[in-house]
Order: sequence, then structure tokens, then C-alpha cells
Amino acid sequence: MRTFRNAMSIMTFILVLCLGAFAGCDTEDSPVHVDWDKREELRLEPQREALTYAYLPQYSHTVSYQRHNKLVEYLRRTTGLPIRQVYPDTFDEHIHMAAQGKIDISFSNPMVYAMIAEQFGARAFARIVEPNGRAQFRGQIICRRDNKAITSLADCRGKSWIAVDPYSAGGYLFDLGVFLEHGLTREDFSEIAFAPGPGGKQEKVALAVFAGRYDIGSIREGTLDIVKDTIDVDQLRILAHTPWYPGWVYAARKGLPDKTIAKIRQALLDLDLAHPRDQEILDRAGFKAIIPSSDADYEPVRALMRTIGVEGDA
Amino acid sequence: MLSWRWPFGRLRFRSKLGWGMAAIVLVFGLLLGHLLTDMAAHSLLEQHHKLGKTVARNLARRAAEPLLATDLLRLENMVDEVTARTENAEYAFVVDAAHQVLAHSFERGFPVELIAANMPEDNRSHRQLLRSQPGLIDDFAAPVLIEGDRIGWVRVGVSRGAVSKTYTRLWMVGLGLTLAAIAFGLVLVSLFARTVARRLARLRDCAEEIVKGNLDVVSSEDNRVNCWEIMDCQMGNCPAYGEKRLRCWYQAGTLCPQCGPGGYPDKLSSCRHCPVYRRCAGDELQELAEAFDVMAATLKDYLGQIQTARQDMARQRQLLRTILDVTPDLVSLQDVNLVYQAANKAFCKYFNLEEKDIVGRTDFDIFSEAQADQNYHEDKQILVTGEALSKEIAVAGERNRRWFHILKVPVYDRDRITGLLLTARDITVVKQYQEQLVHSQKMEDLGRLAGGIAHEINTPLGIILGYTQLLLEDFEEGTQSRTDLETIEKQARICRKLVADLLGFSRQSGFTRAEMELNDSIREVISLVEHTFSLNKVWIRSDFDANIPPIEADKERLKQVWMNLFNNAFDAIGEDGFIFVRTKLCAHRRRVVITVADTGPGIGEDDLDKIFDPFFSTKPVGKGTGLGLSVTFGIIKDHGGRINALSPAPNEYMPSEMEEQIQIGAGTVFIIELPVVDDVLPEDECEEATRHVVRSEQSSA
Repeated sequence: MRTFRNAMSIMTFILVLCLGAFAGCDTEDSPVHVDWDKREELRLEPQREALTYAYLPQYSHTVSYQRHNKLVEYLRRTTGLPIRQVYPDTFDEHIHMAAQGKIDISFSNPMVYAMIAEQFGARAFARIVEPNGRAQFRGQIICRRDNKAITSLADCRGKSWIAVDPYSAGGYLFDLGVFLEHGLTREDFSEIAFAPGPGGKQEKVALAVFAGRYDIGSIREGTLDIVKDTIDVDQLRILAHTPWYPGWVYAARKGLPDKTIAKIRQALLDLDLAHPRDQEILDRAGFKAIIPSSDADYEPVRALMRTIGVEGDA
Repeated sequence: MLSWRWPFGRLRFRSKLGWGMAAIVLVFGLLLGHLLTDMAAHSLLEQHHKLGKTVARNLARRAAEPLLATDLLRLENMVDEVTARTENAEYAFVVDAAHQVLAHSFERGFPVELIAANMPEDNRSHRQLLRSQPGLIDDFAAPVLIEGDRIGWVRVGVSRGAVSKTYTRLWMVGLGLTLAAIAFGLVLVSLFARTVARRLARLRDCAEEIVKGNLDVVSSEDNRVNCWEIMDCQMGNCPAYGEKRLRCWYQAGTLCPQCGPGGYPDKLSSCRHCPVYRRCAGDELQELAEAFDVMAATLKDYLGQIQTARQDMARQRQLLRTILDVTPDLVSLQDVNLVYQAANKAFCKYFNLEEKDIVGRTDFDIFSEAQADQNYHEDKQILVTGEALSKEIAVAGERNRRWFHILKVPVYDRDRITGLLLTARDITVVKQYQEQLVHSQKMEDLGRLAGGIAHEINTPLGIILGYTQLLLEDFEEGTQSRTDLETIEKQARICRKLVADLLGFSRQSGFTRAEMELNDSIREVISLVEHTFSLNKVWIRSDFDANIPPIEADKERLKQVWMNLFNNAFDAIGEDGFIFVRTKLCAHRRRVVITVADTGPGIGEDDLDKIFDPFFSTKPVGKGTGLGLSVTFGIIKDHGGRINALSPAPNEYMPSEMEEQIQIGAGTVFIIELPVVDDVLPEDECEEATRHVVRSEQSSA
């Protein structure tokens, strides 16, 4: 009987040990105590006074940041001026911000420049050289490669068209000019849609055509290189190119001191692709170089705007 | 002081098995349950962490655009959406690079301690467990990165409560399932332990039966299929056919073609491919039980053989014992240390000891030291040389001497001497016969010598007597010369009688056989001496057997025998005694026995052997010549008979009235045997004649 009791004791001990092991093995790191009751209503501190630098949002804000953050830092460092980049969501907002004087330095396409110069007194002081080495750029009309119904611009009649933005140069206005030259007006298309905002609008056009949602699309040259990692660009076919127009332009708002403009202009013109430091800035921004410019360089653009019926009142 | 003892040592095997397996099932069940539950809990927690991290990263990725644009509304919408849509999300908020909270999901103020609670220095996501009033919260911090530049942080807090609840529920389910599995395992263990214990108990019972002597036990399971049923075999002469106790692979000489030669376990290699073996071979316990049965059967067979051998040995031993006990020879066996290993009954009886008093002892315990020492050296010599010893020894007894022929031979076991066998045969009777033979030869030589001398003396003696008688005629009576001559004549006649007796002893006197009545010759002699004897109160009693037929004999010489014997008896008695004469025809009617007993003082033991020698006499000088019994001996021998003397005389040779006259140790009886038909006594002994002669000779020896 005593043996049985001893055996039972040992078995009970084993059971308790196992249950203890069963229950007590919760591995966890030590928590940090936070008092939930210590609360405050937060208020954002006002931003410091600085020159605002805006890049017409033909791409997403992130791309805008990636492309121009180094350049803005360069300008801050070189000129000693407090400059920060701001991100308008749309072309329209860019124009409105320019109108309100919230953009001190605007980097925009020639069409938008023509508008804000015409309406809000902006002054061009520099323009870029495209990666292909030209100081001009152009638009492209694309469709799917397997779309046998569209072999020429005339075939676009009655088709659906997606463009970047009503204020996009290479992504709409240049292309609209081409269609007008070939006798196609806006009404000849079954639909003219614009890429939804904000940002990334060039890519969205390419993606929409690739997906077959629209028959044709209009983008600025170079966009296909941006989306080649996203889609198979071989599935797309370039139906036509627009004529060359002056490239993107740096413009200062009306009332910005000339001295400030000169500093910034010089800093931009000093960027040299041969210099390793500058090469990274220019590569990220997608420029070959920045060259001097003036308002007179954009007369062809104004002529196009008159042709297609776009005025600077947008 | 009480000492703790390992409690499982004295448990039954079934309990040990049950407890042991229960402990294993319990420990491993609980450990396994714990392990699985813990793994599930970790997996759950990991999923929880992954979810939080993913939500935070997604929010960080989506917040990049509005963060750059400082679009507070979109940020606010985002954190609210994350909080609303993420299960168990407690909060979400976005801070910029300057650690300013741009948007958060808290409704009434922001817990200021929350910002610093999880703010990593590097650009990697980080989780931090927070303890606050709502409970444990996992805070996930994800950086908002663009091209490696951190432009802010998003933080998402996910409550641990739901995970804990799920974990607890999982733990309970795990514990329940584990306990159920353990209970099921314990039931299985119990059944298994019961089965094993039952089979072991059966083995134990069989072992106990074997201990009790029952070798017909069957410990293996009997619900089995037999080999002849599986093989559809009809070979009734196969040893396995009909054998239900032992499997066929345990038996030698099975007749299946695929069976290997020999017996178990040599044939087992061929059995492994046999369908019978593959179907019927059991587990280790079954094999043990079957091996146990084989052992019992083999044991029974061996025990039977041993029993038979033992009975045979006992029979042989009894036979040997009987032979040894029956033989009158003294037989003993000693080992190389001369310690007695065995002794027969004659040996024990001779030394008046029990066998147990002899076995295990040496000569020094039984004999005198001198005798034992002599035996020791003799025996050692035999053991060393290996040569047997044969000798005759005389052992002096209280009344007489006995002769033994001793034979000691070494006992060999293969080439090694392992003992010493002694046989001692009583040859006293043989010795007596030898002595009698020697005595007879001596008597014959003496007779021949005496006869020769007497024959040579007889002639001059006759001349001397003749001339003396002639000279007597020349002298007148009364003269000195005549007196001298008469003396010469008298002495010459004495000499002549002596010569005549010597011739008679040497059987050179005349011998005339004729048919005669034995009883009549005795009666005639009795009538001659009866009167004379009666004067000295010596009475003659006779008991004649009327059935004695006439025999061929020299009547006169036999009468001389009777006369000599009666005179000897009379001389021995002197006066006042009896002489008893009896004749008896033996049962086979070829021998007649005459006994002459007296109530004299008897003959001494030393003299008894010499009484038939010539010139031996116990009488005073001048009373006898010492030739009477010698002549008697010669006459009886001439008739082909035999004469013996016994002293003291056994009672049965005396008539009842004489017994009173006989003093203790006194009396002599002469027993004469004469052939009835032939010239020699028949080889068949006559009990009446020899019984007491032999007995007397043995006792005297």
C-alpha cells in the first residue's frame, strides 16, 4: 500500500511538473508602459518661411520627390536660400498655386508656363535639355500592338482616347494639335478621358492603353521607359509622334527678386553632367543639362495653343 | 530512520508496465500538447505581428504621397480607415520627420507618451509591446521611405487582448485534446499491459506447474491454425502432423519439402520463408511461450530418459549390492586416500560394524594401529605400482584360527587409478582339506614305512621266537634260564603283535572281503566287551538302522575297528559313563554312517588332528601303543570309507539319558562312513554324516 502511495506521489509530481511546463512557457518580451490618460491636443508648428519649389505633377509625388529632392537640396546648399519642395496634386492645382503666389519656382511644361506667364506674370529663366540631348520634347500617340483596327491617325476616328491632363503638353495638347492637323477634332473621338489624379498620370495613360481600356493614348516621349519595368511595353505600338516643342521650363513667380532668381538660375546653369556630384542630381531629375531660357522661346507653344483653342485662362 | 525506497521496485510487472507507460504517455502527451499549443500560439502571435507589420507598412507606403503633400485630410482618413478596418487595431498615427504627429485616430487627445514609446533610430520597422490601460498592445512602427530617405513614421497599435483570448482558447483546447489523448493512451496502455501481464501470468503459471512436476503444460496461445491445415497436408507420418502442442519449426524430421534438415533452431532459417511460419509466428511473447513449451517437452523427454536411466542404475545397483551382500567374501572399496567408499555385508559382519561406521573411514579407524600401518603400506604400494596383491593370511580367533585369501586390486578409471578393491575369501575349510590331504599322505607314507620295517622285522622275530620256544623245552621250569627265556619269549610276542599291528596299519596284512551284516558285527563286539565295561559302570547303548543292507567288507577287520573304538571310548571314560553306537543308512542308500560317541573328557583341539597318527597316544606309557586309531583309520580307508572325530560331541549323537552324563565340553564322537555298493564313497554328501563334521570343522577353524 505504501508502495502504491509512493508511485501515485511520483505520478502526481510528474503531472504537476508537466502541467506547469504546459502553462508556463509563454515567451514574451517586456512591455513598455504607456500612460493612456496623459493626453494632449496636438497642434502643428507653422512651417518656416522658405522659397517654394514645385514640379508640375505629371508623375506621382513620390516620383517628384525622387527626381527633384536632390536638386532642391543642391539649390538650398548652393544658393543658401531656404527652399522647400511642395507637391500640388494636379496640373490645375499647380496653376492655382502659381496664381496664388504659393509657388516661387515652377518647373512646368511649356503649355502651363505659357498660361501662368500669360495670366500671372511668371518669367522663364531656364529650361532643360532632355536625356536625348535635345532642348525640345514631344508627345506620342500609342495603341496596343495587336489593335489591327488602328494603323493610322485616321483610324482613330470614333475611338476612345485617354490623355494625361487637359493641361498636359506632351500628353494631350501636342497630340490634340496633331489630330487637328489630320482633320480630327475632339468630337471625332468616341471618348476623351484624362488620367485620374493625383500624380502618376503619364504612367496611368500607358497602363490604361496596355490594359485595353482605351483604344489610344497620348503620352510625352520617355514615359515608356519609366513604365517598362511595370508592363511589357512591346505590347504597345507608337502610332505617331508630335512635332518637337521647347522643353520644360523653370519660371519664377511674379515679384520674386531678380537677385534671388539670378542665384537660382546660376546654380541651375552650373549643373554639369561631367561633375560626379551634379551627374547624380541631373540623372535623378531626368535632365541632361539646364540651359538659359526666356519667354520668347515659347512662342511656338503659344501658336499651338491658339490653334487648338486653349487659352491661358485655365 | 526511514529510508526512501524507489516505489516501483516491488510493483508487479503489470503495474510497472502500466505505470511506466502511463508516465511516458503522460509526460510526452503533455509535452507534445504543450509543444503543439506553444507552436500554435507562436504561430498565432507571429500572424498577429505580421498583420500589424503589414498594416503599418501599407499605411507607410500609402502615406508617402499625402505626407509629401502635407495632405492632412488624406492622412487622417488613412489612419481612421486603418483603425476601422484592421481587426483589433487600437490606434494609428503618422508623424513626420520632425516627429510631429500629422494625423492620428484618437478621438480625445493624443497619449503623449506614445510617440517616444517606439521610435527606432534606423529606417527599419520595429515592434514594441506596450502595457497601457486598455491592456497589452503591440505597437508597430514603419518608416515612410522614399529612395531611402525617411520622411516620417506611421504607427499602428494592435491589441493583444484578442490574441490572448485566442491563445487561451487554444491552450484550453490543446490541454483538453492532450488530456483526452492521454486518457485514450492510458486505456490503450492498460489494455496492452493487461494483455502482456496475462500472457506473462500464463507463463508463470506454467513455470509453477513445471516446478510442481507437471511437464505437460501449454503456455502458448491455443487459438491457432495448424500447419497441416495451412499446407493441406495428409502426411500422417510427419511428426508435426496432429501435434498441437509444438509448432512444426520446433520439431526435427518434419516431412514438408521446404523444411530444412536438423531441428530447432538450425532449421529456422528455412522456415522463415514458409507460409506456415509467416502466418503463425507470433510476437516475442508468443515465441517465448512456444520456446517455453519446447523446453518443457524437452525437459520431460530428458527427465523420462533420466528416470529410465536411474531405474536401470538402481536395478543394477541393487543387483550389484545383492551380489556383494550375498557373497561370503569380504569386499570393500577404498579411494586413493584409502578411505572406505563401500563395504559389503560380509565385511561389515566380520568386523561387527555397520556400513555407515566403515564408509568414510580408514583402516586406522577399524584395525589396530600395527595392522592398519601394514595395510597402509601395502595399499600405497598397490596404488603406486598398480600391481595387484594376492596373499593368504591366518587370523587367530578366540577359539581357533581362520585362513583368508586376500586379493587387493587397483581400480582404474580410464588410465588413472581411482581406488582399491579388496576381496577376502575365507579359505579355512580349504586349508583343512589341504591339511587333511597332507595328513593322509603322511599317514600313507608312515604306513608304507612301518609296513616295510615290520615285514623285515617279522621274519627274524619269528626265528627269535621259534628258537626261544625250542630253548624253553631245554630248561626246566623254575630255573633262572627258563625264566629269562620266558621273558624273551614274552617280549618277542609283544614285538610280534606290534609288527602285526604295523602291518595291519600299512594294510599289508591279509584282506578278505565278503558279504556281511554290519549291525551283527557290531553286536558281536559289544557282546564281547559289554560285561567287562559294565564292571566299571560303562554302559553301551546302540541304535541300529534295520534297513542297512549287507555290505562287502572284511568282517574280522571291521570287528577290530569296533573293538578299537570301544576300547578307546572305555579308556577315555574310565568308569561311569556311556558309549552310544548308532548306524544309519543315508537317504540315497549308497552310504552307511556309524557313529560311536562317548561321555569321556573329550579330545583337546590340538590333539584332534593327531589322533590318527601312528604312535600318538594320550595314555600313560605302557598303557597303549598309539597304533589303535591308526590301524582303524587304515582299515576304514581300505574299505573306501572315511573316519572323522568330533569333540566335544554334538548332542544329537548322544541318547537323551547320556546328555545328563555329559559334562560341558566333554565327549567325543567318531563318525565312520562306509560305501554300501561300490568301493568308494558316493560324491553326494550324506547330511547325517557331514552336517556336523563341516560345522565342527568351521567352528574349530
